Amino acid sequence: MSTRPLGFGEAAAADVPRCWLVTADGCLAATVRALWAADGGPSAMPGITPRPMDWRVFDNGRAVLEQFFLDPPDLLLVSAALPDMSGVSLIQLVKGENVYRQVATLLALNVADAPGVAGVDWQGVEADDFMVLPAVPDAGHAPLPLPLATELRARVELALARAGRALDASPLTKLPGNTSIIKYIQGLIDRRMDFALAYADLDNFKAFNDKYGFSRGDEVLMLTARLLATTVREVRGQPAFVGHVGGDDYVFVTPVDQAEDACRRVVGAFDAIVPGFYDADDRERGAIVAHDRQGQVRTFPLMAVSIAVVCNRPAAGFALAHYGEASYRASQVKKLAKDRTGSCYVFDRRQS
Amino acid sequence: MSEDLRTTYKGRLLAVKDLPTLPTALQEVSRLLELPNTTTDQVAKVISFDQVLAAKVLKMVNSPIYGFPGRIGTVKHALVLLGFNVIRGLIISTSVYDDMNRAMRGLWDHSVGCSLACGELARALGMKDPEEYAVAGLLHDLGKVVSALQLPEAKARVDAVVKEQDLLYIDAETQVLGFGHDRINAWLAEHWNLPPAIREGMAFHHKPMSARIYPQMACVVHVGNFMARLFEYGSGGDDNVPPLSPHALKLLGMNQRSLEALLDTLCEKFADAGELGFA
Repeated sequence: MSTRPLGFGEAAAADVPRCWLVTADGCLAATVRALWAADGGPSAMPGITPRPMDWRVFDNGRAVLEQFFLDPPDLLLVSAALPDMSGVSLIQLVKGENVYRQVATLLALNVADAPGVAGVDWQGVEADDFMVLPAVPDAGHAPLPLPLATELRARVELALARAGRALDASPLTKLPGNTSIIKYIQGLIDRRMDFALAYADLDNFKAFNDKYGFSRGDEVLMLTARLLATTVREVRGQPAFVGHVGGDDYVFVTPVDQAEDACRRVVGAFDAIVPGFYDADDRERGAIVAHDRQGQVRTFPLMAVSIAVVCNRPAAGFALAHYGEASYRASQVKKLAKDRTGSCYVFDRRQS
Repeated sequence: MSEDLRTTYKGRLLAVKDLPTLPTALQEVSRLLELPNTTTDQVAKVISFDQVLAAKVLKMVNSPIYGFPGRIGTVKHALVLLGFNVIRGLIISTSVYDDMNRAMRGLWDHSVGCSLACGELARALGMKDPEEYAVAGLLHDLGKVVSALQLPEAKARVDAVVKEQDLLYIDAETQVLGFGHDRINAWLAEHWNLPPAIREGMAFHHKPMSARIYPQMACVVHVGNFMARLFEYGSGGDDNVPPLSPHALKLLGMNQRSLEALLDTLCEKFADAGELGFA
């Protein structure tokens, strides 16, 4: 188990990106087949060892659509000229629907196609990248020359990575969102790595948001994100990761022996900085006075950050089975943190 | 003066880029950033001795890209939120004044003196965030630095007027430019999204009773500036001591005795600062 290289756990099989090629260009189809040889063995292209991908090849647009809508792949590589429709309209169809926007799309143009690259309305297409392929005499079926094949492989991999980053990130803080968080943590669990997983959220954020409005609420969310990001960035060693689950919920990951120090720094800095986000009178009072849902006057103390930490230490006998267990344990621990007033952090006691 | 000329001056002043500084603190920060165990507190302490570096980190952390403009008023908090990576970039991109401009030294020392006095005074008065008062004190003459860089011909005339007529620097500025460094401070603080309290301290340290939101801050910087001048700690650009406003003392609840106690504390503080080698 421990001799396995990083990044290729048991989960890898499910992790192989599903890619679809839609083209009538035999040369492009041959290149894709050769680059990502179907048997999963060594690539038929000399000198290239691509990351495994599960490719399907379609030779017309209509054949793709229904399957696509039911079970979309991770990436779609489309020739601009298809027998039954234009590649551009296929991509527009896909990208126009919010639920399919995460699919990476590449447009393959042929130098022989009019009007070529200059004629594409890139604002309207929403393709993620493109390739320009040479004109092939009489429907050739030989793979593209090596430099072009290498470029195609690189563009496919980049488009996949970029699609994962871009759509998952919180639009406010630009931190990775839920999908990336789950993937990252499950990856650590699968590789049986030691790590501390911390769940952070803000107390009395709602009262602040209600009184000062969303815009100032967003300022506090940005502050929290930045504070976690710089703290984790300066942690020694790996793993180190910060994600934004949404709203005032964040997660961060550090090596086990760095977690307490990181928590202490986050809590200390947050408590020192957050008063500056209140107006002078509330800051002076140390609380917001507002009506609660029942119309009673209540005082809400200044915001505080509470952090629940769960550790994974397989070699020491504390192994999390999956991400769900981590988040369940954290929510249990979080209850303890919420019982205290002010900022604090609590570690899962089972493990200490 | 004509409104047009004032607008032209303002535009030139706010166009300031790559504000240079003196080498002392810059070199010390660079050295600290190369050591593996350096803490933000250590770096913050050194940056708090350099008005230009302090202004740069506060300007950066309060820029809209970080998402909370006008909220961060201390160097330490700025550094925690920027992180060493960004600070390193900032330090690398900061240039140093050439030998001719080393004459600025006096102004740097005066700003440190004022900063120490403001921090001490805020502590003595039991203010909640003395660090912010120290920052306002450190930045209170930044307008002089920016105008020297952006309007060098005016700076030469201001210096000449100070010499010929034995005026306060601010009065000479008003004679030459039509406005003083307090006005420049207000423009800069607003342009850079510095927190309102710091803006008022910078903008109203010569007219503390004109501060609208944070008169206490303006009064503290006013008294701090007076102290630094009184001790002749560095140089504010002329040899006079600006008048101390009795209203400011009253607003802060200070009397002869508390003023003297402050003078005693500052005596020690100034001596310590000298030993650190940044003043």
